[in-house]
Amino acid sequence: MTENSASVPDSPEHLLAAVRDLAREVRVAQRGTWFPLLVFAAITLLAIPVERYVPPSQCRAVDDGLICAGPNLGVLVYWPVALVVAYVAIAAFYIRQARRRGVGTRIGPYVVVGAIMAVVLACASVWRGLHPFMPPTGDGMPPHTVLFGLASPGVAMALALLVLAWVERYPALLAFGLGFLVIMLVQSNQVIRSSSPWHFLPQLLIPAVVLLLGSAAFYHVRPTIPQDA
Amino acid sequence: MTAHPANGLDDVVHQRVRLGILTITHEARRVEFGFLRSALQLTAGNLGQHLAVLEKAELIHIEKGYEGKRPRTWITLTPAGNTALRQEIAHLKELVRQVEQAHSRTSS
Repeated sequence: MTENSASVPDSPEHLLAAVRDLAREVRVAQRGTWFPLLVFAAITLLAIPVERYVPPSQCRAVDDGLICAGPNLGVLVYWPVALVVAYVAIAAFYIRQARRRGVGTRIGPYVVVGAIMAVVLACASVWRGLHPFMPPTGDGMPPHTVLFGLASPGVAMALALLVLAWVERYPALLAFGLGFLVIMLVQSNQVIRSSSPWHFLPQLLIPAVVLLLGSAAFYHVRPTIPQDA
Repeated sequence: MTAHPANGLDDVVHQRVRLGILTITHEARRVEFGFLRSALQLTAGNLGQHLAVLEKAELIHIEKGYEGKRPRTWITLTPAGNTALRQEIAHLKELVRQVEQAHSRTSS
């Protein structure tokens, strides 16, 4: 060691390591991952009675029953409204948590992206309501139907989780979000042919259960921080 | 001949606690006094002294207020503080790089 370096209170390596550790500590304190997952699970479960009991529209009678040309208007209205309410609740949660923990939050970009996705979903819903399609007779789906699948509520929630993973710089949430996105994309390309009034149930129950399990897991590993700093 | 990176170090910022304050404030955007004290493991008086130095250098902004009946002190980073933090980290990285280069030259 030279005399010059001895006058420096800490070595550059130690200072840089301390900077990294403190930055990580702040990021952990800012996380509240379990709550958005719980909210998304809740709005997915609430969609079940809407899907089941709001009467479908644009149906026509066929020999062995009824063919409906897409989701009913209640469902089309429900999802954009539910997503906006969810984002408001999530933003309020993060702001309240930031005040309680004494550390700011970066929730702004998340809310902006969420609002944009809710608007896109609403536009897709309106277009879908105005341009119904008949279920295809083969196994494949028309290209525009696949596009509507991408603009589904499940995909919107999965993308919201990926944005949240970026905001929180949380690799575990990134992995969860990608897995959830894959499930939603696979589900969105399924054609359901069933006469049961509950035919939609797997499409809502599977993501709801995945989200609930994720919420429980992230709640279990949440940071323990003094409540009043 | 280029200047040694140590010459670019700012005495106000190049101090473990003050660098920690700037790092936390940068990462959090806005941080409360109690969180800083807990994260940096300082007494209130000690932290207050470091904050006063940074505020005098216009690197942070201190805002006092109330949340309910509880007094709160919030700290935010100024644009000058953001620049100072970036420069300090760049200088530190450059120092580490030069030390590692010198070390590899002497060992080879």
